Amino acid sequence: MHFRWNNALLGATALLLVGVSNARAQVGLTSNVATVALTATKAATLSVTPTSAVATLASITDGSNANVFTPVSLTTAWNLTAGSSVRMVGWFGTPAQALANGTDFIPSSKVEGRVNAVAYAPFTGAPVGAVGVAGGSLQLFSQAVGAGTYFGTRTDVLNLRLDLTGTTTMAGDYTGTLNLQAIVQ
Amino acid sequence: MSIRSYGPKLLALGVLLALGATELQAQAQIISLAAVTLGNLAVTIQSGGVQAIPGIVDNAVNNFPSPVVILTDWNVNPGQTNTVNLVAYFSLPAQAMVGGSTQIPSSRVLGRVTTGLPTTFTAMTQNGIGGVGTAGGSLSLFAVTISGANKNDSRTDNLDLQLNLVGFPTLAAGAYVGVLNIRAVTQ
Repeated sequence: MHFRWNNALLGATALLLVGVSNARAQVGLTSNVATVALTATKAATLSVTPTSAVATLASITDGSNANVFTPVSLTTAWNLTAGSSVRMVGWFGTPAQALANGTDFIPSSKVEGRVNAVAYAPFTGAPVGAVGVAGGSLQLFSQAVGAGTYFGTRTDVLNLRLDLTGTTTMAGDYTGTLNLQAIVQ
Repeated sequence: MSIRSYGPKLLALGVLLALGATELQAQAQIISLAAVTLGNLAVTIQSGGVQAIPGIVDNAVNNFPSPVVILTDWNVNPGQTNTVNLVAYFSLPAQAMVGGSTQIPSSRVLGRVTTGLPTTFTAMTQNGIGGVGTAGGSLSLFAVTISGANKNDSRTDNLDLQLNLVGFPTLAAGAYVGVLNIRAVTQ
């Protein structure tokens, strides 16, 4: 009888252990790991924002270069992935007629610009890359960029003047449009 | 051979048994039989396994273009399983999506399963479930109570994803990539 009870006890214990192990087997059962690949792309940007869209010169003085327009502040912002420089270009669409008073014109060669108090220079240069017009352009600055500076901004003061040395103008209002555009090279 | 030839032997055996000759008894052996069907739990991405936002807008909520269609199927023992749970998680919550040196944390990645638990867009900042997922980088997508009726079943859910950049610093231009893990676990 003793042996029978021992055997029965052993069998019951074995069954219990098997049952417990089975119960545990499905708690915490995990599946395969499925994955979703995520990509989000931030496009490169380059922008120029003037504080004012208007620069004025109240009274022209003939034969002088002391014809200074009100200054314009420019903010240039870039967020790039490549390139070595950000360049700001000012240009007139029709260099021979930078400013017009009816049929009287002031060419871009008599309009000068500068940023941050460097020397004035006329708008007579070539385009920079695809930006500008031949004979009517001026590079205002070139900002070096690279890894670590691909994301940046700068603010400049643009000064403009008319150099009318040796020139007499007809009385009236002269108006024109100066284009400002940045380019990455 | 007739029964008579065995008569004396049978008689002797009977006498021995009657006298309690236990030394002739074999021990009863018990063999426990157990056959186990292992539970099955699988997750399949049916579509939307590659998600791309072509143009991130800073300081805005950016939707990933299409839902991730997830098929979950299981075959489990209802006596041993209470629930089947589906969990989405990032391995490194602080670096859910990375571009260059910029890291977008999982708190900026939101998920929604209109047929599951986060019926509105919810950040992936929950803890794991049953050892699946990461602390602070997980989102429980559904929990199904298991009974005899659904012990062998499946379901399909759509996971919608968003990248919430409201208030996040302006991102540098470039691509930001990450991997969202999806895994089921029983409880």
